Amino acid sequence: MYNIEEIQKILPQRFPFLMIDRIIELEPGAKVVAIKNVSVNEEFFSGHFPDAPVMPGVLIIEAMAQASIMLFAGAKPEQAAKKYSYYLGNVKIKFLNPVFPGDQIRITVVPVKLISTGGIVNVTAQVSDKEVARGELSISVKEN
Amino acid sequence: MENVENEIRGLIAEIIEKEPSEITPEAKFFEELGVDSMMALEILTAVEKKYKIVIPEEKLTQLTTLSDTVRVAKEYLEKKAV
Repeated sequence: MYNIEEIQKILPQRFPFLMIDRIIELEPGAKVVAIKNVSVNEEFFSGHFPDAPVMPGVLIIEAMAQASIMLFAGAKPEQAAKKYSYYLGNVKIKFLNPVFPGDQIRITVVPVKLISTGGIVNVTAQVSDKEVARGELSISVKEN
Repeated sequence: MENVENEIRGLIAEIIEKEPSEITPEAKFFEELGVDSMMALEILTAVEKKYKIVIPEEKLTQLTTLSDTVRVAKEYLEKKAV
């Protein structure tokens, strides 16, 4: 639905910190499903961990946050068209299973409450049919 | 309805990580209790969830004390009852 070029029109993040590759579902203001393909070439695997590569949980949260920005942008296009900085506030995430090279993470974001300056969202991350993380994030948006 | 005040005090205490006793009805969220805009949104959302009501964004700026929050919550609880 949104390829990486289109994602980059909305997300301010760039290499090596673009943590979603594609949006496969977007219902404005209601739901976003994003894909993150995890390759063994990711830089963080060289140190996390040298002999046993596991995707750092904080980066799963970052991917969830970026998918949340896409939800916000879909719901508030007039807001997202301006130049913004995005911040995370409260992060309540449980990690349920590790993510390894070769995994494809499917991140689903639904709003709890969206307002013009941010929102609270429910997020789940799955690899195949296995949940790897889930929880709630609050994001805030500030005009640059 | 006094119950509502205590319930909301409990919700706020959890969000802002303060003792419920510190959250007096007139204590100012921003100046006295260290609440920021993100916490204010969390308070609004927690109240919505608790009472299954929807409070519009415009009301967010009115939530500056516990008593204000209780007043807004009651306003929407009454609307829901109608």
